[in-house]
Amino acid sequence: MSRGLGRYILIRALMIIPTILILYTVVFIFLRILPGNPILAVVGTKSISPEQLEHLMKMAGLDKPYHVQYFEYLWKILHGDFGVTLAFPMGKPVWDYLKQRFPATLELTIWAFTISVLLGLLTGVIGATRKGTKVDTAMRLYSIVAYTLFIPWFGMMLQYIFGVKLHLLPTSGRLDPGIQLKTITGLYVLDSILTGNWPAFVSSVKHLILPAFTLGIVLSGAYTRLVRNNMVDVLSQDFIRAYHARGVPPRKVTWYALKNAFIPIVTLMGLQFAILLGGAVLTETTFSWPGMGTFIVDRIDYRDYNAIQGAVIFFAFFVGLISLIVDVIYAILDPRVKY
Amino acid sequence: MRLKVQVLALVLLLALGVVASGCIGGQSTQTQAKEEVTQIVIGVTDKVTDLDPANAYDFYTWEVLNNIMEGLVKYKPGTLEIEPAIAERWEVNEDSTVWTFYLRKDVKFADGTPLTAKDVVRSIKRVMKINGDPAWLVTDFVKDVVAKDDYTVVFYLKQPTSYFLALLTTPPYFPVHPNYSDTQIESDATYGGAGPYRIVKWVRDEELVFEANPYYYGEKPKTKRIVIKFYRDASTMRLALQNGEIDIAWRTLRPSDIKSLKQSGNFNVIEVPGGFIRYICLNTKVDPTKNVKVRQALAAAIDRKEIAEKVFMGTVEPLYSLIPNGMWSHIDAFKEKYGDANIELAKKLLQEAGYSESNPLQITLWYTPTHYGDTEADLAQILKEQWERTGMIKVDIKSAEWGTYVDYARKGQMQVYLLGWYPDYLDPDDYTTPFLKSTANSWAGTGYANPTVDELLTKAQRLTDQNERAKLYEEVQKILAEDVPYIPLVQGKLYLVTQKNVKGVIIGPDMIFRYSTLYKEG
Repeated sequence: MSRGLGRYILIRALMIIPTILILYTVVFIFLRILPGNPILAVVGTKSISPEQLEHLMKMAGLDKPYHVQYFEYLWKILHGDFGVTLAFPMGKPVWDYLKQRFPATLELTIWAFTISVLLGLLTGVIGATRKGTKVDTAMRLYSIVAYTLFIPWFGMMLQYIFGVKLHLLPTSGRLDPGIQLKTITGLYVLDSILTGNWPAFVSSVKHLILPAFTLGIVLSGAYTRLVRNNMVDVLSQDFIRAYHARGVPPRKVTWYALKNAFIPIVTLMGLQFAILLGGAVLTETTFSWPGMGTFIVDRIDYRDYNAIQGAVIFFAFFVGLISLIVDVIYAILDPRVKY
Repeated sequence: MRLKVQVLALVLLLALGVVASGCIGGQSTQTQAKEEVTQIVIGVTDKVTDLDPANAYDFYTWEVLNNIMEGLVKYKPGTLEIEPAIAERWEVNEDSTVWTFYLRKDVKFADGTPLTAKDVVRSIKRVMKINGDPAWLVTDFVKDVVAKDDYTVVFYLKQPTSYFLALLTTPPYFPVHPNYSDTQIESDATYGGAGPYRIVKWVRDEELVFEANPYYYGEKPKTKRIVIKFYRDASTMRLALQNGEIDIAWRTLRPSDIKSLKQSGNFNVIEVPGGFIRYICLNTKVDPTKNVKVRQALAAAIDRKEIAEKVFMGTVEPLYSLIPNGMWSHIDAFKEKYGDANIELAKKLLQEAGYSESNPLQITLWYTPTHYGDTEADLAQILKEQWERTGMIKVDIKSAEWGTYVDYARKGQMQVYLLGWYPDYLDPDDYTTPFLKSTANSWAGTGYANPTVDELLTKAQRLTDQNERAKLYEEVQKILAEDVPYIPLVQGKLYLVTQKNVKGVIIGPDMIFRYSTLYKEG
């Protein structure tokens, strides 16, 4: 690694810190501005004395001034401690839940990502190579429709068709009830391969198909558009004409054009990964997928400050990390990038 | 570059292969899994809060605890009759302050450890020491509990408590495994107690798996394994039922789902009378609901049948008292005093309170959007319409999410608002004291206090004769209809929707679903 590249990576890595800090501050302020608190959300209508309530608030550290709460949590985060849950079950490390929930989201994200790139490339290439034809219009239409689909609605349509009507695929969860799987990474497909548990492999793949396709199709629209436009640009360039003139088979020419159109697509991949995680929240809710998305939504219901803050910081860190990796790959791939 | 593209192509190919293999191989494996394991899968949208009976205080978690633990006594399945459980018999002194229980000698925890009187005493003292949310069910009543010998437990109560056996059926009185810490809450502990099932897998908000307890003293469960699947919402659970992923859809499908599943004829829809109630709270400390005539007018204008039909599609029944229909001492106090949709009476009362069509009563009705299901906005809207039918009331509707809503209620910041109640124990006391006794109702935020009611409730708590008690509760209900700090609206029914081959569903008035009688036919 050159000295310049090392410096570039370091600067990009350091930029993650202010991003997380801003996000944490915004989340912290919002949670405190809104009325209600986690202890009351848990206690509900049950009859407890004001003294008991005060005791519970004290135990949770919510009796302290806001600035103290802000810096105390920040201090904990700097030490890798995400705090403890304030709602049911109270006092459990938030990290335990992040560890348990994150692999589910990651697995869904990886699959959805793969599907979106595949579909985007396929439809984009088809559109570009048949520019101006009805097929091109259809692909452009696909791009718009896919991009504007509302995940919960689209997810429910797929659940209804492939689950209820055709009985082909399960509509929710990650594994069939009764199937046991020893988890190593938390990515069920990978774990089932590593442990040679084939029923779990089939079951986990089946459970992944609908949520991954829902999210993947919605996100593929952006790729279709980008791939098509880039390909159209490349296909009109002189070197492509030269290929044709030399009698290179059209399929090969398309392949060369795609390779040339690939760099902006890599950038989009990085950006899409962050959007993917956002889309995963909606997808997880629709498919009762036990990942980070459903975790955050549950915890918002409970007003569990620590869990929400912890999950958001963790998410932000992960997205920052992926962006960093993509930027570095981009810098390596494209010699024109100065660092 | 060429190599990179090849690697990418390989990865994509693999991914496609995986998808394809899933599609092809899926069906047979599912069938295989079902054949190998005798299990019933139950879907719920509820959550387990805290698996420790010293801190668990919600309806669904109590259901789970009732399947893995058992108390000294229990309700006979499907009835309100209390029968021996871990205790084979009991004695009570004359003024019902000393209760002696004689334990069965063959009771064991799910790992084979024998259960003795020492475990019962330790578990109850543990609840008192930890002092979690449900601890008052013990600490308000029990002065001391001692083990006379290995199989005799004696309770010394603070005051005569006629319904002590009903209290004993609640989880804070369940003996827990010796592994539970004496002083700490163990929210995710699965050691359990001496119930018909034991927990073999527990992933919070995802899956809970029970297996029959091999050491259970009673009748063996009919199905060896029960799997609980937790769903985010009712729609996903309904789809899972229709797709055959779950055998039973339990709490809680929406009224429209229940109706259409019933009409489809493909499922068994089982209706169970429920002891949970919905009501309106009226703040007696702030204007204009401070005026009793206003509160009475609001009570008179309500049409409960319309609410039951239009909002809940017949899945609830009208309720005219805080004590539910079917429970001893219940009287239709509000029906007797106001009737239903009595617009004329409402107008008269409003006029007496100084309101008219040109000077209408202005009120704000609050509701919370998700805590009681997604019918809540409709409930608020229909109440507005019913009240505005008088032509003398203007209603402004507002909502707040649960944590905020509870905060507002406790601080008495709302005027008119909707709440619901699930019983802790099955006795009229649980439907009256927490609402009406001035020392116990601060949570509700109505600010209601009536010394006569306080006295009647204290007396009813101490009397042992049920007929005498019933008279006192009837009197309390009449005062409630007169003072109107709450307006009872409807009483819920519970619905289970099962696949056709699922049998053995028994749910009694305690509303607890015990899984041990379930089985599949064919």
